Amino acid sequence: METTDGQREDAVLLRAAADGDLAAVRELYDRHAPWLSARLMRRCNDREVVVDVVQDTFVAMWQDARKWRGQGDVAGWLWGIAFRRLVSRLRKRREVLLMPDWDAVGNGVLPAAEEQVLLGVEYGDLGAALRRLSPEFRAVVQACVLDGLTTREAGRLLGVRENTVKTRLHRAKAQLRTALADIELEAW
Amino acid sequence: MSTTTWHADPALLQAYVAGELDAVLSASLERHVERCPECRGAVRPLADGPLLDEAWAGVRERVESRPLPAAIRLAQRLGLREPSAVLLSAAASLRLAWLSSCLVALGFATVATLMSEDRLWPFLLVAPLIPVLGVAAAYGDADDPFEALAVTAPYGRTRLVLLRTVGVLVTTLPVAGLFGLFLPGPAWIAAAWFGPALAMVPVLMALASFIGPRMAGPLVTILWCGVVLGAVRELPPTWPIEATQQLVYVGLALVALAVLAARSVHTRKIGAAL
Amino acid sequence: MNVELTAVDKSYGGTQALRGVDLTLGTGITGLLGPNGAGKTTLLRVVATSIAADRGEVRLLGRDPHAGHAELTRVRRSLGYLPQELGYPSDMTTFGFLEYVAVLKEWNERRARRHEVRRVLDLVGLAEQSGKRIAKLSGGQRRRVGLAQALLGNPRLLVLDEPTTGLDPAQRATLRRTLSVVAHESTVLLSTHQTEDVAALCERVVVLADGEVRFDGTVVDLVATAVGQVWLADHEVPGAVMTWRTGTGRHRVVGGPHPPGAEPAEPTLEDAYLLMLGPSAASLPA
Repeated sequence: METTDGQREDAVLLRAAADGDLAAVRELYDRHAPWLSARLMRRCNDREVVVDVVQDTFVAMWQDARKWRGQGDVAGWLWGIAFRRLVSRLRKRREVLLMPDWDAVGNGVLPAAEEQVLLGVEYGDLGAALRRLSPEFRAVVQACVLDGLTTREAGRLLGVRENTVKTRLHRAKAQLRTALADIELEAW
Repeated sequence: MSTTTWHADPALLQAYVAGELDAVLSASLERHVERCPECRGAVRPLADGPLLDEAWAGVRERVESRPLPAAIRLAQRLGLREPSAVLLSAAASLRLAWLSSCLVALGFATVATLMSEDRLWPFLLVAPLIPVLGVAAAYGDADDPFEALAVTAPYGRTRLVLLRTVGVLVTTLPVAGLFGLFLPGPAWIAAAWFGPALAMVPVLMALASFIGPRMAGPLVTILWCGVVLGAVRELPPTWPIEATQQLVYVGLALVALAVLAARSVHTRKIGAAL
Repeated sequence: MNVELTAVDKSYGGTQALRGVDLTLGTGITGLLGPNGAGKTTLLRVVATSIAADRGEVRLLGRDPHAGHAELTRVRRSLGYLPQELGYPSDMTTFGFLEYVAVLKEWNERRARRHEVRRVLDLVGLAEQSGKRIAKLSGGQRRRVGLAQALLGNPRLLVLDEPTTGLDPAQRATLRRTLSVVAHESTVLLSTHQTEDVAALCERVVVLADGEVRFDGTVVDLVATAVGQVWLADHEVPGAVMTWRTGTGRHRVVGGPHPPGAEPAEPTLEDAYLLMLGPSAASLPA
């Protein structure tokens, strides 16, 4: 179970981690904690909270490693754990929770150079399509599609009722589908 | 895994980490990074090193040692020192399995007692033995190779046995006392069985200093059974815990303590009296 | 001197395990060599304050462990002991077990204690197994956990009962490195029944048989006792203390009269050991 560059796969490391192999836990930490912490810092500007969430996430990873059956990939699974922990920790401390500032996004009116960058990014076409959505719709897509929350969790996070989230998500997906005729949204 | 060969260039990742990308670009990049091991690796040198070290210390701590049992953490909040908590958490006589089997036995005894109005002996038989047998178990087996380490450690086996003994008494007595409240008859009965229970502990320890805990435990059990069952036929059900008998128990306990003290002064044996 | 035993006797029931043992040890590594039942474990247990001597004088680290609880505790604070068979609570992790022993060794401050546990785990090469349950470790790894607990707190007196059992050659080499560092400032007393271990690990060797010290000196001196008593012969030789056929087809002859026609051979530590034990060596496991 080794990839071509000789690295053990995440799933193999997880199995070792379940037995308390500290080296395996460390390897997974080195692979995933940097991007995870960077992404969390984009959601929360309290460093101590991020430290705690990163810590909790990897402890949870180690505890649940035995149950890991290889569904999906480890990175997405870890982000799911991390973001839910963050949201539940910050339920009473909204001031440190950074919501992506969708209002600052130019409504399709970008400097040409930046538009170039965006289109160069993988999923850049998604980005371009997102730009055409209204800020409320973008927030819902971000929470439910990109960050992987359930509609109930997203409702709590965004401070709207679950039904509202469902409606907005439904409409946003329809609009995106039109914008990205060639991308299968469900495949995300 | 990413299927494309596109990778974020360092400047773009740097801008993302610094929070300089707008929401849409960030979202696209996050989407990519979540699926691309190479770009995840590229974030590593840009991430907040001290933050990662701090979080890692916490993760390592948790993986290395299991958290202390809930009951012991509660005791810590009530003033139990941390080193003692570590020692208690490893004591077999404080394991959930041991305690719960005691409680089941006591539960049956309580029910048996409640079945008839003038019968008290099943409860009186079981309840005082629970702390005593717990203490006997607290000794561990001196020949157990694990206990052999405790013998040569500066903390000392005597202190370890005493610490476990206190742990056993603190955990078993309140729960057993609670069962006592269900007993029929006057309220003092619920408290009176503490007399023989507490007296039997020093008696056990004194016996153990001569014949070892493995022999002393059963011996004390037999003696107590003799007292309770011997009284069943002709004496009133509360006889084993009435005032005169309580005085005898106190006397026995005092004698046992004196024997223990004398043993620990005179024994030349390394490892002390316990 | 860290260990001074004078005329120490110890018996269990009817059998006398130690008879008039005199032993003085400073810093460095001393190997205790002897057949099974020679009294090695009993001697180590006396030095480790696990049992008391029946008669004779015992001074450890300049103190008398029998003089009272306070003196005994002072000795134990500077003592590391690996019993021959160490039981492990199987539901503990490696780290948890060492932390437990560290508390027994009075490491009361949590942060310092955990730091010390990590240090000894590193020393025996088990840092990455620290989160594993002891039940999941291999035999050699468990033996190293035992060694790690003995090393807690850099003891000035380290008593190891058969530390090489269950170790493969690479692990023995690591043990040698670890002990040679420790032995600069400490007294290490270890037992073994394998002469290779003594040759590899120890500067000094004490041969124990029937509860008595038969030899006490350097490894080189022990080998020297066999000079002129080892030969290589073409045929089997009667009357030797020990003789066996070697891989080259010739017969190695240790002790006894000079076999006619045999050429003298360079003695090894094993030859000297067998010679020292005399005819009783024949009953030893090879």
